[in-house]
Parts: sequence; C-alpha cells; structure tokens
Amino acid sequence: MNTTDSQRLHALDAVRGFALLLGVAFHAAMSFLPGIPPGIWSMVDNSPSAFLGDATLVAHIFRMSLFFFIAGFFGRLLYHKLGAGGFWKNRGLRIAVPLVAGWVVLFPIIGLVWTMGIAKVFNGAPPAMPEMPKVPGAFPLTHLWFLYQLLMLYVAVTLLRAVFERIGDAPKQKLRALVDAGISAALRLNIGVFTFGIPVAAALMSLPFWLYWMGIPTPDGSLIPQLPASVGFFTAFVIGWLVNRSGDALAIIEKKWWVNLVFAVIATGWMLHTSHATPFAAPGTTKTVYAYVFGVAVWAWVLGLTGVALRFLSNYSAVRRYIADASYWIYLAHLPVVAALAVWVGHWPLHWSVKYPFILVVSFAVLFLSYHFLVRPTFIGQLLNGRKYPLRKPRQDPAAAPASCEGGNDGSSVATLRNISKKYGTTVALNGVDIELRRGELLAVLGPNGAGKTTAISLWLGLTEADSGEVTLLGGSPLDIQRRRGLGVMMQDVEMYKELKVRELVALASSYYTNPLPVEDTLRRAGITALADKAYGKLSGGQKRQAQFAVAICGRPRVLFLDEPTVGLDVQARELLWLNVRILLTEGCSIVLTTHYLEEAEALASRVAVLAKGRVIASGSVQEMRSLVARRQISCESSLSVDEVRGWPGVIEASRVHARLNIVAADAESLVRRLLSEDPDLRRLEVREAGLAEAFTELTKEAA
Amino acid sequence: MNDLALNTPEADAGLLTPRRALAAYLTEIRFEFTRLLRNPALLAPVTLVPVALYLLFAVVIWGDAVAKDPGTAIFFFAAFSVMAVTMPALFSISSSLGMEREMGLMRFKRAQPAPPGSWLVAKIGCGVVFCMLAYLPMLVAAIWAGTLPLDAGQIVSMSLAMLVGAIPFCALGLMMGSLVKGSAAPGYANLVYLPGCYLSGMFFPLKESMLGQAHLWPQFYVNQLAMQAVGITKPYFVSMQMAIGALLGFTVLFSAVAIWRLARKG
Repeated sequence: MNTTDSQRLHALDAVRGFALLLGVAFHAAMSFLPGIPPGIWSMVDNSPSAFLGDATLVAHIFRMSLFFFIAGFFGRLLYHKLGAGGFWKNRGLRIAVPLVAGWVVLFPIIGLVWTMGIAKVFNGAPPAMPEMPKVPGAFPLTHLWFLYQLLMLYVAVTLLRAVFERIGDAPKQKLRALVDAGISAALRLNIGVFTFGIPVAAALMSLPFWLYWMGIPTPDGSLIPQLPASVGFFTAFVIGWLVNRSGDALAIIEKKWWVNLVFAVIATGWMLHTSHATPFAAPGTTKTVYAYVFGVAVWAWVLGLTGVALRFLSNYSAVRRYIADASYWIYLAHLPVVAALAVWVGHWPLHWSVKYPFILVVSFAVLFLSYHFLVRPTFIGQLLNGRKYPLRKPRQDPAAAPASCEGGNDGSSVATLRNISKKYGTTVALNGVDIELRRGELLAVLGPNGAGKTTAISLWLGLTEADSGEVTLLGGSPLDIQRRRGLGVMMQDVEMYKELKVRELVALASSYYTNPLPVEDTLRRAGITALADKAYGKLSGGQKRQAQFAVAICGRPRVLFLDEPTVGLDVQARELLWLNVRILLTEGCSIVLTTHYLEEAEALASRVAVLAKGRVIASGSVQEMRSLVARRQISCESSLSVDEVRGWPGVIEASRVHARLNIVAADAESLVRRLLSEDPDLRRLEVREAGLAEAFTELTKEAA
Repeated sequence: MNDLALNTPEADAGLLTPRRALAAYLTEIRFEFTRLLRNPALLAPVTLVPVALYLLFAVVIWGDAVAKDPGTAIFFFAAFSVMAVTMPALFSISSSLGMEREMGLMRFKRAQPAPPGSWLVAKIGCGVVFCMLAYLPMLVAAIWAGTLPLDAGQIVSMSLAMLVGAIPFCALGLMMGSLVKGSAAPGYANLVYLPGCYLSGMFFPLKESMLGQAHLWPQFYVNQLAMQAVGITKPYFVSMQMAIGALLGFTVLFSAVAIWRLARKG
C-alpha cells in the first residue's frame, strides 16, 4: 500500500465516522419531528421543529447507504488482506459479537427508556403496547439491525465470489476488466449518480405504503431480509467493493466532489419541496419520479461526501483518527442515551433550538467519555477497533534529546521526490524528477534560474501539489502537519513580522514544534543573541537572514531546507552559518540546500543534484560531478598569443587576463609539455582540476 | 471497526500535546496583539474617527431630535456603532493580511508546522479587540454627552451585540485580504463598507421595495441584533435567532473562503 492509498484510507475512515455520528444526531432529532405519532419514538417533544424534520429527512437519504458503501470498500480490502478464513474470523469478532452482546445489553435498557417515555407522553396512562406482529422472523433488532444487515451482505458477496471463481479464467479476466472499466466510466461521465439508484427506486416502487420521509424503510423489525433495504444497501456495498477493485475510481470521486454535491443539493431540494406538498406517496407519476430522484440523491450524497473527504481530509489527523475510532462504540451505545435525554427534556418549557443542542452536547460528552475511559484502553476497544490504547502516553524527556532528533547517516531516505511532474499553466516546472535526500546528508540542489529548484522545495514543504508522482517527507506526505513538525525551513523572499523582536519571532516559531530548543539556545546557536531585542524591521538584510536561520533551526528539525541561505551575509556570518550547518549534519539532521554560490555547495555538500529545465541532469558526490567534466584548468604567464594556443589540439578554451594565459584543456599533460617547449620564458605555471563551477556551467550548457 | 491500523509512527512523534497546542494558539494570539499595540499609527484614526462623527451628528447636528426621542437616540447610536465596529475589521485586517501575503509570510506559515487554525483565531480575536477599541470611545462619549438613554444592562447587551457583530466582519476582512493585494484591499473594503452602511437601512428606514436587498448586508443583521438586544422591536424584520444564524453563516462562509484560498496560494 503506497502513501497515497493510505492517505485515502484516512479519508474513508473519516467518512465512516461521519456516517455513524450523523446517526446519533439523527436519532437525537426524532422526538422533535412535527407530527410524529406518540409511541413511535421514546418521546414527543413539546417544541416540534420543522427544521429538524427537514434535516432528518436529508440525513436519512444517505447516511446508511454511505455507511454500506464504505463498508463494501473496506470489506474487499480486508478480504484480500486476510483471505476468506481470516476475513470471517475478523468479521465474526468485530460485527457478530457486538451484534449479539450489544443486543443483550441494550435491548432491556432501550425497553425501559421507551416505557418511561411513553408513560410520560400519555401522562401515566399509556395504551396497551401492540404485540409484535405474528409474522415469521419478526424480531426487534433495534438500531443494531445495521450489523445484521452487514453480516448478510458479507454472506451474499462471499457467495457471489464463489460463483464467480467457478467461471473459466479467460472470461473471468474479461469480466473483471469490463466491470472495472464500467465503474470508471460511470463515475467519470456522471452516469453512476443517475443509474446506481435505479434498483433501490424500483424496490421502493413495489411498496404498497411508502411515506416519503421514510426513505429506505429501516429493516429493524425482522430477521428476514426486507426488499428495499436489501436492494439499496446491497447496491451500495457492492459498488463500494468495486470501487476498491478499480484503480482510478477514488481519484475520479475525489475530482468530482463538487459536481456530485451540486446534484445532491438539487435532488434534495426537489424532494423537500415535494414532500412538503404531499408527505404520502399515492401510486402514480409523482411516486415514480420521487423514487427515482431519491435514488439519485442517495448516490449524489454518497459520492459527493466521499469526494469531499478524499479532497480535504486525506491527511492524517490525530483528532479525526480518534473520532473515527470512537464512532463505532458511540453509535452502538448512543440510542438509550439520546432517547433517555429526549424523555427527560421533553416537557421542559424551552424552545427546541435550546433542547436539541443540549441533548447532543450531553450525549456526545457521555459517549466520548465512556469511550475514552471504558472502551479505548480495554478489551472492548480491542474487540471493536482491533487495538487497545493505554490511557497515558509515555512521556519523552526533552532534556535528553539532541538538537535534532535522530543521529547517524544510515543511508535511508528522509525525503523523496519520485517521478514528479508539475506544470504552471503551460510552463513545465518539473518533468519526471527523482530526487532523494538521505538521512544525515547535505544535498545541494543547483541549477540556473527557472530550473525548478524552488518548485522542488515547495513540494517538500507541502506548499504545492505535484500533477503526478509521489512526494514524501519523513515517511509520509508533507501535507501532513505532523510530518512538517520534523522540518525547518529558510525560504527566499520571505519577510517576517517587522514589528516583532527577533526573540519573539523565534518564540512564535518554537511554539509550533513538539520539542523545540529553548529560545536562548536557538539565538546563541544562530549567533544573534545581540540582536534578540531588536525589531525585525530594523535589521539589515544579512541580519534578517540570520534571524530566519534561527527560526529554521528552533524546532530541532530532522530535515532542514535552506533556500539561498547566505545571500547578503558578510563573511563572518556566512562562516558561522556554515559551521552551524556542519554541526547539524553531525547531529544527524538532513539538509537540502539551494545556492548560487558553487563554492558553498563544494564546501558543504555530500551530494549534488543539478536541475535544468525541470529535469535532473546530473547527480552524485561533488567528486563525481567534477569528474563528469574531464578537463583541467591551466594558467601561466606567457607571451604566446591566445589565438595561436586556441588552434592547438586538445584546447577547449583559451583567454588572457593581463599577463596570464588561462587555458581549459582535456589532456593537461601533453598541453603543458607543448607550452614549455614553445615558450621557454613561461613562468608561474598552475594546473588544477576543474571545480564544481566549471562542471556546472558545462552541464547546464549541454542541457540548454 | 478500524480493520487497517495504519502505521504512522513518524506521525505520532509529531503530535502536539493538547497543552502545547493550546500554547501555540495563545502564543500566536499574544504576538498578534503585540503587533497591534506596536502600531499606534494604525490605531489612532480607527478609534478617533467614529467618535468624532458620532458627536458631530448626534450632538451638534441632530441634538434636538436625539434629546426628544429616546428611540432616535438609540437608533443613531446603534448605527454609528456598527459603522465603528466594521471599519477596522474591513480596512485594517484586509490590508494587513494582504500585505503579509505579499511578503510571503502566509506561505512561510504554511511550510512551518503552524497549527492550521491558529492564525485565523488570532486574527479574528485581535480584530474583535480592535473593533472594540473603535467602539468603546464612542460608548464613553455617548454616556458622557447623555445621548444614550439605556440602563447598564442594556448597554452591556448592546456592547455584546457589537462584539458578536464584529466577528463576521473580521472574517470578511480576512477573506478580502486573502483575495486581493494589500494595496488594493482598502478599495475593495470600501465597496462593502459604504454601500453596506446605507443599503442595510441602519441610518435611515428603507422603503418596502428596498428591504429585500438589505438581507445581503451583514450590517443589517448586526443592526437588527443590536436593536433587539436593547429591547427595541421596531423596526424589526428578522428574529434574534435569525440574525445570529445569519451572522454565523457569514462568518463560516467568509472564513472558509479565506482558509481555502490561503491553503492554496499562501
């Protein structure tokens, strides 16, 4: 599973959590529905709300289909990860056990709450409760019906797979390809929104009695599968399963998030309008159209909301993760809590806009607290989420940590760009670039202006997203703020708050990190203790760069990005910065440096990558780069004319500066022999290897 | 129900403890204030202009009408208060954010691991205080001049309404600052500021035919909220819940655009 995929799973986890928590809000609103007959719900509130009525209608359109869609997606993932046996064992523990145990515990409590509520509604004289209808399979599943339904869907899909496996290999492959292409096309061309809902619409049409508000009638009263629910949720589940199969479906759903939401809003608006006019569907055109639009709305919401999550919630967030983990428990346990609260507040002489939020706040508080203390650290958490978390995290001793977090150069990479392409309009900034930063090294990224250096760094900083390819920083996406807590950065063309003092700027930046250096230490290391109480706006250009360097190192970065760090620095300040860079390297920090001063790269870099026109044209150690250019510089005082020397074989370039003749040649030895024999008065001869500067000029000239 | 425990050890290492996250928010707010206080040039006009205008109109020009009818006096005070509160939010916040963007600061903040909401909270928090700095001198002047026939409780309610009303305008200032350059921001702010003052009906009652468009201006809801907060129900077009709901809606909309824009462009 690559990083992009695992990020997408974060998004889908969030969607599932959302669908479940929405269920809590949904049930909390039930007692406020205008005209709800007494006895259906635990309470009939004295302040009904048309707004909540509409809101529940909207939520009810999609929330369970959304849940089963995600369940299908994860179902296939799990099936392929664990195999059939492992899958069933896992589902047995996570789904069947909570279904049985949950029902045994919850049913009597729910019964008690209802009895109390109904007594209150009828002022202590409730009519006799109707008996459970005497039909085969009748059983009060309560809200846990969704687990039962899920198990049936697992059975159905396992059987389907078994049938599918019996087909011959060739037609099987063909069928697979066809289905994958079909799903992709249906999503890409917006056909899915208008067709996926047709089966459930047809099933709803078959109902003799259908209240619009009900949507898919909840199959909570019987063990025998109900037609609309089975059809509707099976479709959702199977499409989720197939989306997991397909290579590009998630990407399309992500891209189309707003299109689908627009469809959802239009369809829902029409449904609200119609259901206000006639809440009950007499057979006829309206019912047919309503059923169809309902199917469209279901899928527009399912795809739209999933798309929103993929687009905006793909990065790891500890808070979202916690909520997603908690949501299963919360949904299992919420019903008696919200129903009891509804009974409690039902006769209070307050407006629903006060009572409804009150119910939500109290029930979420109770449910999250119970999750945190009774579930997350115990066997229940292990059972529901597959993992137990200790209540307290072991604390780290900040004093023991070095200035940067990890030591040693073990050659593993801490930041990579893999096959990255990026365009701005029609300008290609990067074109299939691969760059890797290894632990503990300094990588100098060189290149002429406009070569793509700043774009490369922006990708690593999470400032831009690549058109294609994969960017990683400290093992994940740089869009994750947690990853970025491991980086320090000094950017070009950035000013800081000019009213703040240097010390304050460092303190502000330090507050963003988990374990920063003490502010005074940072100032001392950067050599700017004397400037600490000066306002940033009053500093010289070089002093500003020093302050920016302090801000870059204050968080004990594991990866440091220095974009032209020494521009405008005097010699002393530059030496100090170089020294700091070397110290950071020995402490295990990895550094990316862009610079125009090639001697800087030569002095500091472990490796060099040369970019030109959006491509990496060369990379390697400084030594390797030099030897790429097999030539040497010869310099001497001689009376020979430049034009004459230029004509000699092996001479690449010749020029004269005052008395000195400078020659660049491939074969220095034979040239020196000839020089000495042609000019016996020749003096002060020097021969040296070509430097990085020559190599760089040569390389970029070739690329141009 | 999570079947796929995602291994994110590196991510776990980068988590801020709640205490540190709170500290990060507080530090951001503290320095935002520090910057505000170190810019007296920015404070002076915003705090002086509304008070001067209010005294000119409510005491000098229409002093008689104000003295005769408490309703008119409150109407005047509310209108000038809304004007005072919206000015710093629209002009200062938008141009300062615009300038910060031009300096590359917001881009830099994105690269740094600054908690995503901290600058928003700091900017809105400081903006609200700034708005109060524009409002309070007016309040003091009105009490001193005796042109505000309200009891202490009503004054507190009125001030709370202004405090709440400042929030959507701060968000609007942020949205403008995130969309245009610092130098262009005051021009755009004027597009909302002046028409909003007049078309929202807070300075003079609107004709029936013009009432519909008044709902487009956040000023309208702040004014409605302020009038109802002190118990004046005429002229009264929307309920208090509706006014608060609309202001909340404006805040969410404007902040969302600002966040969305800054997350992409910096």
